[in-house]
Amino acid sequence: MLMQLTLGGLSQGMIYALIALSLTVVYRSTTVVNFGHGDFVMAGAFLSYVLVVLAGVAFLPAAVLAMIAMFVLGVLFNRGLIRPVRGGPHIGLALMCIAAGYVLRGIARMVWGREVLPMPAVFDMQPIFLGNLVITGDAVFIIGTVLVLLLILFGLLAMTDLGKMIQAVYQSPRGARLIGLNVDRFNDFSWGIGAALGALGGILVAPVSLLHPDLGASFLIKGFAAMTLGGFGSLGGAVLGGVLLGLAEQYAGAYLDSALIEITAYVVIVAVLFIRPQGLFGRKAVVKV
Amino acid sequence: MKTFASLLAAFAVSASPLLAQDDAWETQGLTDDAITIGVMGPFSGNASSYSKALIGMMAYYDKVNAEGGVHGRQLVAVQEDTACDSAKGLAAAKKLISQDEVFMLQGNSCSGVAVALRPTIEEAGLPWIVAHAVSDSISDPLAANIFHGVPTGRANGRAMAQFVLSKPDTTNVAIIEHSNDWAHSYSNPARDYLEEQGVTPSLELTMERGQTDATAQVLKLRQEQPDFIIAALYEAETAIFLRDLKKYGMGDIPVMGTAGTDLENTLKRTGDFDTVKNYYVIHSYVDNLDGPLMQPWGDMIHEYYPEEELSTFSFVSIGSAEALVAALEAVGPELTRSKLMAALEEVRDFDTGILSDPITWTPEDHQGVKGSAVAGFVDGEPTVLKAWGQPY
Repeated sequence: MLMQLTLGGLSQGMIYALIALSLTVVYRSTTVVNFGHGDFVMAGAFLSYVLVVLAGVAFLPAAVLAMIAMFVLGVLFNRGLIRPVRGGPHIGLALMCIAAGYVLRGIARMVWGREVLPMPAVFDMQPIFLGNLVITGDAVFIIGTVLVLLLILFGLLAMTDLGKMIQAVYQSPRGARLIGLNVDRFNDFSWGIGAALGALGGILVAPVSLLHPDLGASFLIKGFAAMTLGGFGSLGGAVLGGVLLGLAEQYAGAYLDSALIEITAYVVIVAVLFIRPQGLFGRKAVVKV
Repeated sequence: MKTFASLLAAFAVSASPLLAQDDAWETQGLTDDAITIGVMGPFSGNASSYSKALIGMMAYYDKVNAEGGVHGRQLVAVQEDTACDSAKGLAAAKKLISQDEVFMLQGNSCSGVAVALRPTIEEAGLPWIVAHAVSDSISDPLAANIFHGVPTGRANGRAMAQFVLSKPDTTNVAIIEHSNDWAHSYSNPARDYLEEQGVTPSLELTMERGQTDATAQVLKLRQEQPDFIIAALYEAETAIFLRDLKKYGMGDIPVMGTAGTDLENTLKRTGDFDTVKNYYVIHSYVDNLDGPLMQPWGDMIHEYYPEEELSTFSFVSIGSAEALVAALEAVGPELTRSKLMAALEEVRDFDTGILSDPITWTPEDHQGVKGSAVAGFVDGEPTVLKAWGQPY
């Protein structure tokens, strides 16, 4: 059972990792916590649904198109709604994110009501039985896709000039601006990437779950928990936090009580904030006076 | 003696407006040619699909009216929207009672709203037939003016457990449910029935709303290998649970679901017959929705609401409307609220021809429907069942 739980936990954890990573990408560059991000995840899932089910596009091109559309939405969201209120109090930014999320949710509700929609299975391979261990197509596809994406993303950050520029902006936006980098455009890019990565989380979970307009709410909490566990602002920490959260949910549900699955994320948030507020890879906040 | 006579006269004078008011109250909302009935339901909002139940009920009123009404009186529905929200429901009830002064109330989807309305309506005293919401606490403890016209959660929960145990050699039963009142309203009576029959659930699991994965629960079930699983889960989680059961090679274990799901939609959501072939649900009707016994009711709804799209909810309130009309017929032309409530308490084994179980209201028990049929796939076809392997 341990192996099966680990596989299930990894599969779920990869989704959480993607969502935490997308939250972190935006947070690192703009210091904005996108409280509407769950609805970006939902929107990505619904876009892929529209393309696959209603427009008859194959899953992979549909996923790419949905991510591109969400990238554009993220950029427009930053330019149209975040940038104009950027100088104001932080609560304004948070409320703007929440409002945008609710608008997306409202649109989904207007179109689909509270209907729960099925996405056709796309990882339709026969499960592989290794003794008691069942390796399912969706687990292989989710883990594989996210791993490949993470390798590309972290490789890009570590080994290319673009990655070094991104890290420079992360470390000091003012310094980056002084050496001629267009930080505003970089922020647009971060919002776009954040929205697209979040959307990918929704796209991957859609075929193994079901779609409904409130889908994003629980993923937002999982994303926050993973982000907290990994350390605010740490890209690698967000990924590790997501995977650990996925595993923790499965182990707690199976070995302790299935009721714990739902509250694991909240327990993680509380425990980390008490024991190690900076998370696994975050830096301790130092205030110079 | 003179003093006593004076006191008696004074009492008679002072009491006469009260008596007159009582008479007026008894026939409020009633004219020579109309009986006004307040119909509350979620006609807007997220739960508006439940209002199909009330559309079906009002279509039945229209049918009765087209046939001449009841003792020459037309049944006039006064609609009020609750939006499945307790505050709005309370405002709607107060409006219907105090402003519209309807003769009686019938309807109400959304148990939460109906439970919240109970104190107000009980105090007002006018007859209220609950025609869709299932929570037991709407009609239990007994209130003189509140009648439940659909199987309550308790009736459904027991029906679920009865069906489970009707499968030969079933001794190992597991339960998976949400941790909310809705799920408990099914699982607790089911658990009680199992215990009465000497069966203690071997495994009790929780799957919360919004969960997109049931691996941990399914793996525990795989270890336990139950004969039957009772699942008090909403539609989305039911589909996810059934998918995961099949994924981990446990698709052959039968699963008993609530009235909150139905076979066709569950099949649509899972997109795979093998996943739902052993799924059974509470089904309160005598036939499949597209079966010959339900066809006339669907035709009736379409006669008066041609654009109405039928769903499983469309038929659920018609049975109690039939029982109401039967009681109104029994009272005769001299109708009062008290006479109607007395007549409702005389309804016995009333076969509605649409609900799988009859309606019986007595002075001691106003929860009229005590059981429910079950639907499941037999030879690939949705089939209404009385018990395991026994078609209705």
